[in-house]
Amino acid sequence: MKKYFLTPLTTLTMTVLLFSPIAGWAATAEIELIIKDHLFFPATLEIPAGQKVRVRIINQDPTPEEFESFELNREKLVVGNGQTVVFIGPLEPGEYPFFGEFYPKTAQGVVVVK
Amino acid sequence: MFLNSVILVLQEMIEAALLISVLLVFTHLFQRSWDKSFVLRTSWVALSIAVGVLGAALYSYYTPQISEMFDYVGQEILNASLHLLSLLLVCLLAFIVPSAQLAKNTMGRARFAAFCMTGIVMFSIVREGSEIIQYVGGIAGQEENFTPVVLGGFIGAGIGVSTGVLLFYGLINLSANWSFRISLALLCLIAGNMGSQAVLLLTQADWLPFTPIAWDSSSALPENSIVGHLMYALVGYEATPSILQVSIYLLGIVLIVISPLFRKAWPQQQSLVGKA
Amino acid sequence: MRSIRLFLISSILATLILFNFVAALQGYQSSMREADTLFDNQMLDLARLVSNLDVSSASSKDLRLGNNLSFQIWNESRLIAASHNAPVEPLQSFVPGFEYANFDGYRWRTFTRYEVPLDRWVIVAERTDLRFVLAENVVLQSILPLLLGIPIVGLLIWIIVSHGLRPLQQLSSALRNKGANDLSPILSADSRIELDQVIESINGFIQRLDRVMEREKRFSADAAHELRTPMSALKVQLHNLSEEIDTKHESFHQLQEGVDRMQHLIEQLLSLYRATPEQFAKNCETIDLYGITQDQLASLYPSFEEKEQSIELIGDSIEIEADKFALETLISNLLGNANKYTQRGGNIVVSVEDLGSEVCLRVEDNGPGIADAEKSRVFDRFYRVDSNDGAARAPGCGLGLTIVSHVADLHQARVEVKDSSFASGSAFCIYFKKKS
Repeated sequence: MKKYFLTPLTTLTMTVLLFSPIAGWAATAEIELIIKDHLFFPATLEIPAGQKVRVRIINQDPTPEEFESFELNREKLVVGNGQTVVFIGPLEPGEYPFFGEFYPKTAQGVVVVK
Repeated sequence: MFLNSVILVLQEMIEAALLISVLLVFTHLFQRSWDKSFVLRTSWVALSIAVGVLGAALYSYYTPQISEMFDYVGQEILNASLHLLSLLLVCLLAFIVPSAQLAKNTMGRARFAAFCMTGIVMFSIVREGSEIIQYVGGIAGQEENFTPVVLGGFIGAGIGVSTGVLLFYGLINLSANWSFRISLALLCLIAGNMGSQAVLLLTQADWLPFTPIAWDSSSALPENSIVGHLMYALVGYEATPSILQVSIYLLGIVLIVISPLFRKAWPQQQSLVGKA
Repeated sequence: MRSIRLFLISSILATLILFNFVAALQGYQSSMREADTLFDNQMLDLARLVSNLDVSSASSKDLRLGNNLSFQIWNESRLIAASHNAPVEPLQSFVPGFEYANFDGYRWRTFTRYEVPLDRWVIVAERTDLRFVLAENVVLQSILPLLLGIPIVGLLIWIIVSHGLRPLQQLSSALRNKGANDLSPILSADSRIELDQVIESINGFIQRLDRVMEREKRFSADAAHELRTPMSALKVQLHNLSEEIDTKHESFHQLQEGVDRMQHLIEQLLSLYRATPEQFAKNCETIDLYGITQDQLASLYPSFEEKEQSIELIGDSIEIEADKFALETLISNLLGNANKYTQRGGNIVVSVEDLGSEVCLRVEDNGPGIADAEKSRVFDRFYRVDSNDGAARAPGCGLGLTIVSHVADLHQARVEVKDSSFASGSAFCIYFKKKS
């Protein structure tokens, strides 16, 4: 019985180990998103439908920012004067707003999937 | 700034408060049969909070380095690992707790359970705490933001902690049987949430394959509404979860529910719990 | 383990905080919405004003606005007037209504209006961060007192709950401070409705307990008293018998010993129940502990001499409050015990020592001593330490130490059994309260 108990966790670990190298090799398009003065540049990201995209977020402010989108289900902290990477998609055509959780009044943007 | 800081702090605080309350209820339910000296008091909570806060401080201090690891997905990997470790500990806890009444080596079991609980709370505080530190540290440093951010932080923390306190007293004032059942149910949701969060993070880091979303309830209950935030904190509600996330969530629940069933003596123990 | 006070304070405070803070959030949101509408209305007015501006007469220098505002006037696709901080391209697409736009490194709230008679598009913009900060500062002023008030509210709740629980604490401390022999009812002068039933029940229990104990005491005392007369008669008969028959017979000797022991038992029982709390209070007087010990020692000296035991008394005269008869019984029992249980030629040391707040009467010997397991039981009624060497089995009834502890209780003195400072043997220490 104990074997069954451990199985799901083992499976999950194995899945993680299995997929990690494959994912690394897969070539994905990269787009840049710059944060400056608590604003996103460009505020509109256009990506093709049904494709995975690697978004490189470059924070030029000294303060940290958190890229967040409920529609995209993404949440990622970018340290001040740092950069990071978020994978989004593949997505259905449509508009997916995102915002900076730390400065949501100004840091607003949208991903347009065509 | 104010509302923002309320939501951010509240979300992290309420998750931790909920977890601590439920685990404290377990401690409370079984303290009579457990070791009375070290673990069963609330000392494990104090210990895990202290270590957790220290860990959160370290985490946020090294965030720039951590986030660059694994080709800029270091944070996702670290957070997902913490989630999965917690999930493992929650499963072990659910496995050990119901048997604590009849087992001969209750002291050892109590120590082990306290060890699990310390780990769960500690990992949770490292995750939640580092985010709060990042936010407050990064934003409150600017003078014009100080008042709203700190005020919001206190309001969020106040609501979060109060909810935890009321939940704890609500649960321990129920009959022992119901108190145990509800705590276990909440632990299931917490476990499911941990698994689902880990999957989400690994998908975001591109370590797990993309799976289509299971449903879209964003029009019925948007995630960024107050109820949505609350539901996210309580049961890990997502308006558009992926199929893999939902599966892992359910798997987490199933794991917790069936773990105690592995023990043959479970039925007798359940009746004992009722008398406790 | 579970504290009522902690429960009340934390749950009341938590409820208060929860409702107050959620209400504050609600208030914040609606106030901010109101403020937003207010700002939007101002922009509407500004747009109306700007649209009727006579552009021909105004140079762009005159069109300076505060840094938080900006506008453009377009005719067809030509910019005919703009504020100093506006860019040259359109601030917003030409769709009437409110919108947001990013330019000049800021995020702006824009309002676009088409002025039909003049065929003009007017776009006014206001910096969102500034108008937000402005509104928020006002709203937060009303939330701040809520937060600052929490510690005061917490303190008040703590005081109120503690005060409310005081009768309960008084009751429990009254019960705690009750002496083991104090069976008087608990006074409920300052009682509460909630505690009346509890106090009544406790007093009922105490009363019943008191009656039961009184009955038991009286029975033992009466029985002992009633046994005295037949016992005396028996003694007389035995004496008469000894005149008539050959007293050298072993059985007769044993009979005599048995009767003596029984008489001793009866006397002990009587002295045990003679010392009652009521009597004790009446007969209490100032007594020199050293002197009374010396007297008792002198009267028992023949017994020690007979067993060739050395006995020593150390100390100075110290006064305590005591019942003379009861105290004599206590000392003679302790000395008698030492005499009985110490072997021939043993050593006994009696000391009276001033310990500051207490006075210690200590009787120690180098006899066989008492095993640790038995130390707590020696004061039980009719309990006798079993000695392995049958020879040492001394006559006695097992009430001596019970009387000692009973008398000590009456005097609110502590009794301790320890190992003696000799290589073997036991030490009995009675700690009396010093006369104040």
